[in-house]
Amino acid sequence: MIAGNSAGVMADTSADDRYVEVQGLVKLFGTDRAVDDVSFSVPKGRFLTLLGPSGCGKTTTLMSIAGLHSVDAGRISVGGTVYTAPAEGQFMPPERRDIGMVFQSYAIWPHMTVAQNVAYPLEIRKIDRAEIDQRVHEVLHLVGLGTMADKLATQLSGGQQQRAALARAIVSRPRLLLFDEPLSNLDLKLREQMRLELKRIQHEVGITSIYVTHDQAEALVMSDEIIVMSKGRIQQKGGPREIYAQPVNAYVSNFIGVANLLKGRVVTATSAGRGEVEIAAGGRTARLPCLLRAGMTPGTEVVLSVRPENVAASRQNGGSACLEGEVIEAIFLGNSVDCRVRWGDFEWKVTAHPRAGLKAGQKVYLRLDPEHTLAVHP
Amino acid sequence: MSRSTNVMVEIEHLSKHFGAELAVNDVSLSVTEGEFVTLLGPSGCGKTTTLRCIAGLERFDAGEIRIGGDTVAAPARGIFLAPEDRNIGMVFQSYAVWPHMTVFDNVAYGLRVRRASGAIVRERTTRALEMVGLGHLADRYATKLSGGQRQRVALARAIVYEPRVILFDEPLSNLDAKLREQMRIELVRLQHEVGITSIYVTHDQAEALVMSDRVVVMDKGVIQQIGDPQTIYAHPANTFVANFIGVANLIPGVLLGRSGGFCEFEVPLGEGRAPLRLRALGAEDARERQPLTLSLRPEDIKVHLKKPNGDAGDNLFEGEVIETVYLGSMLDCRVKVGQHEFSVQIDHYEQIDPHQKVYLSFEPDHGLCLTA
Amino acid sequence: MLTQESIATIIVSVIVAAAVLLPLFALVVSSFQVMDASGFSTTWGFENYTALFNDRVIHKAFINTLLISSGSTILATFLGVSLAWINARTNCPWRDRLEPYNLIPFFLSPFVGAIAWHNLASPRIGLLNSWARDYLGVPGYLINVDNIYGVIWVTGIFFTPLVYLFVVGSLRRMDPSLEDSARTTGAGLLRTTMTVTLPLVAPAILSGAIIVFVTSAGEFGVPFKLGAPYGWQTLTTQIFSKAVGDDANYYLGSAMSMSLGIITAFFIWVQQRYIAPRSFTTVTGKGFRPNVIELGRWKWFAFGYNISFIVFAVVLPILSLIIVSLHPVWQGRIIPSAMSLNNYVKTLFFWRPDSIQAATNGIYNSFILAFLGATIAMILSLVVSHMIHRTKGFGARVLDFLCVVPIGFPGIVLAMGVLVTYIKTPIYATLWIILLGYITRFFPYGQRNISSVMLAISEELDQSSRMAGASWFTTLRRITIPLLKPGIFAGWVLLFIIFLRELSISIILYTSGTETLSVGVYYLSNYENEALTAALSMTQTVILLVCILIFRRVAGREALTA
Repeated sequence: MIAGNSAGVMADTSADDRYVEVQGLVKLFGTDRAVDDVSFSVPKGRFLTLLGPSGCGKTTTLMSIAGLHSVDAGRISVGGTVYTAPAEGQFMPPERRDIGMVFQSYAIWPHMTVAQNVAYPLEIRKIDRAEIDQRVHEVLHLVGLGTMADKLATQLSGGQQQRAALARAIVSRPRLLLFDEPLSNLDLKLREQMRLELKRIQHEVGITSIYVTHDQAEALVMSDEIIVMSKGRIQQKGGPREIYAQPVNAYVSNFIGVANLLKGRVVTATSAGRGEVEIAAGGRTARLPCLLRAGMTPGTEVVLSVRPENVAASRQNGGSACLEGEVIEAIFLGNSVDCRVRWGDFEWKVTAHPRAGLKAGQKVYLRLDPEHTLAVHP
Repeated sequence: MSRSTNVMVEIEHLSKHFGAELAVNDVSLSVTEGEFVTLLGPSGCGKTTTLRCIAGLERFDAGEIRIGGDTVAAPARGIFLAPEDRNIGMVFQSYAVWPHMTVFDNVAYGLRVRRASGAIVRERTTRALEMVGLGHLADRYATKLSGGQRQRVALARAIVYEPRVILFDEPLSNLDAKLREQMRIELVRLQHEVGITSIYVTHDQAEALVMSDRVVVMDKGVIQQIGDPQTIYAHPANTFVANFIGVANLIPGVLLGRSGGFCEFEVPLGEGRAPLRLRALGAEDARERQPLTLSLRPEDIKVHLKKPNGDAGDNLFEGEVIETVYLGSMLDCRVKVGQHEFSVQIDHYEQIDPHQKVYLSFEPDHGLCLTA
Repeated sequence: MLTQESIATIIVSVIVAAAVLLPLFALVVSSFQVMDASGFSTTWGFENYTALFNDRVIHKAFINTLLISSGSTILATFLGVSLAWINARTNCPWRDRLEPYNLIPFFLSPFVGAIAWHNLASPRIGLLNSWARDYLGVPGYLINVDNIYGVIWVTGIFFTPLVYLFVVGSLRRMDPSLEDSARTTGAGLLRTTMTVTLPLVAPAILSGAIIVFVTSAGEFGVPFKLGAPYGWQTLTTQIFSKAVGDDANYYLGSAMSMSLGIITAFFIWVQQRYIAPRSFTTVTGKGFRPNVIELGRWKWFAFGYNISFIVFAVVLPILSLIIVSLHPVWQGRIIPSAMSLNNYVKTLFFWRPDSIQAATNGIYNSFILAFLGATIAMILSLVVSHMIHRTKGFGARVLDFLCVVPIGFPGIVLAMGVLVTYIKTPIYATLWIILLGYITRFFPYGQRNISSVMLAISEELDQSSRMAGASWFTTLRRITIPLLKPGIFAGWVLLFIIFLRELSISIILYTSGTETLSVGVYYLSNYENEALTAALSMTQTVILLVCILIFRRVAGREALTA
């Protein structure tokens, strides 16, 4: 029932670009399909993020890969070794999977020092003392806790505990690193700092990583690839720029960053993936040039998606391509002004430069950049 | 929107010790009727203590507090009005919604304490609940509500008896990010509708900028600057304010001289490069060769991938991109210029290579030289 | 999926179920067997239960039990709430120092307390009464505790800490902004206390009151000393006489035990199901200091009030024991020339020819029972808690229920059940049957201690050990158990104390040679004199006080609110 030899060292027999392979994963809680036919693969050494709101199935997927959950159908293998495959009667218990994991609550053991915490995985593997000490020292230095080795875990701040948890997860040089929303208990400034730290360390050490978060800003900053999930299913897979700039449907557009979303209909379509979409809101209509996705033909019902930073608002009328509207709100955010411009019964979200002087009550003309105006699936 | 110019809350030379530590140090502030003022600063700066002194939940050592013209606390004259006699409303960080009462009873509490008639209680409580969008939950027990709903109950409870002032003690910090942003806007809309003078405490500068008519920035018990959000942001009084509000590039240098309303400012670059000569606002009273700090906001720095033609222009210099972070709506970059690093924003569609050379420039009246 | 874990859970559940349910089942069966006039054979019938109403003595005992429970509940609740409020919410001077003393009665033996108060306020030999006669010219006596009022008094003050602990915990955990917000909406101090503070504390007060009511109903020692000899029988003293007395009738005893047990179990069920879940503990992330009320000059009154409680509950009884124990015979007056340590010698030095067997046996046996019992009970608690909290499924829920059951039944009731179940087995008349009784009745207390610590330990601490490569067993050994150490040790000491002073179970299950410490005290009180009784009682009290010191060192304040 268990693959791998008794020393716990496993052979890597997979192709590097499908190092982690998840196929057809299904997990039910009662009648609720928490994970509904999820498949993806992760190349060796890359950083993948599972992103979505709570209840979308991302944590359940992660726990299934860790072996802390069983699954109802599907197959999970890492480096060619099968971890979970109920159809074949295979389930490797978590302690044999050679995975490092960082938990949301850090899970640092309070009755041990930092060094003892980090040494634990090596002690379990019965590595000799001298080597343990050396590797612990190395990895603590890597995460920036070199001077904290002998402190009791409870004396560390939240950020430091998180680093200790990371050190403990990588010290045994596992084949896979899993992160379960590790930064959500930190305050904003620390979180932003730790994101970059984590990424730097992962890059330096080169361990294949799967990260779970609900924070889309975090996913954009850290990931090589993002999988956006909702209600147990995958909505889109791709790199950060792709997910942000080319969302496939209204859900992804809305979940990642901010987007103006209007229902519309394709009017013309060229073969180069460009065309025109007609939108309407409260009596006003417009025909706007935009990028189309494959399969969109004239008559297709779509949603027009434009990011606020790609809507230019000006006091001067720029011609027929402009939408005329009224600023109903201009909220000063410091480095930008968050404007709402009413057009018909739709409120456009526009990001303006603070020195542009936009104020509530002004008449403005909106111009959308055709290169960044997208038609997406509803 | 026209607003009265009556002063509703007056704080004069407020000081409070906790043991040997001076938590609030000679704080003075006037809040006009209907205004939304935020006390902003890091934890331990004295903002919450000041708020609790206004509420009467804390006594202080020196100074006076007046609400609506009445002196509510003046230790030197032996005056101290208990919180229940000050006619204020307060919203707490933990919401403090009473779990053993229904939503209706929670909100009606203040009216019942004032012995309002049953009809008035019903009418005003219902109106307050409608205003915060909880009309349909009046009979629910408080323990069955979400965090956001409890926050609204706390708000309705504080406004139902139309106090002169409402105090807010970091009411949104326990909510998650999206809900917090939503509630901010709602709170402000509500405050404008009802028009009650509001004093708000937070450590979140983004929150303060969005919500306030005026911001009071505090650090270590001392007021650093008072002003409206745009002024505080664009004209910080010192490096603490510049750094605390938003992101600022703070570059040290020395004053060379003044001309045409601007100061000439020299920034040593080290690393064998000639120092930069820049023109910016500020430092009106500084002497020659006095050390200054230039405060420059990332969004005010223009990034050129090729050296711009024509006039060398004010404030143009060369640097090397050492880090880019993709944020979705833009690229957040760090550019190395000699021994300094500038934080700049680039449109997210640009492709920036590591170690790429770029040119940075800014308008003289977008930079500010600070003496402290 | 049948794993190692689930098989182990099932086995443990069966063992616990047998231990807890067999005695109750045996009680039920035997309660329906009616002894006939000859005293030899039995028939099935309800007569044992109707005796509650027909038999004058038993009926009166039933009424007395209700009166005593109600009286002591009122007294303990009044004292407990006022002391808790003084301690948690006012600026009473030295209130931190006073708290440990408020809790001492919880650890001592109420039976010994009754003995001490008998020596203080019995009409003829009470020390206070003889002082009143000699120095105040009072004829006869000033106060008399040898009656139902004495029982209520001693039971009430000894169980006050139960209410105190519940209420003080609730007051301390309350978010002060709940009261601050009432003040800012315009409510004064009094109104805030009545409409906000009190309702929030009400569940804790109610829980404490129910626990006192139930514990008083099951208390044997105090009514046995101060009530039964003077005409006030209770259900517990009657059960005792039906078990070992001249009119022994196990079947009638079983019926009375069942009646008492049903009442107490009902109240405990109500408390667990409806009241405990409603404790509005609002613990915020920020550390906070609760609101303190400045009493001004009244703070000295509060201080005096607290001191008075400690004097009446702790100081006076201990002084009484010391004084009486130093006299060869106690007549009511202090005679300095007669004072000596002879009584201690007789009760402790077992090698002397004039030593009293029951007493010296008692010390020896109780130590063995306490050590062994606490150890076995804690091991059992550890296993059971781990199963309840770390395994999911039906077995865990059954175990959780089984662990609450013994709390609902007084010791004397369970002891009756154990007696009836095992009377024909080899463990009868040995220390083992007493051990079984102790563990069955009290292991839930150890289990609650461990459970509360376990709940605080997040599951992720175990999970991260598994991910690091450790098996289920290694995780238990290296992570779970070390983290539980404080809870384990605290539980052990608490059980040690409980077993050392235990009376109601021992008195039913003992026999010559297996006397326990409290049984020794009972023996001396029945067959020897008050002075010897006081000496053994004082010895027991000193041992318990030492244990309390150890317990305070090892456990935090929260360890007691099970």
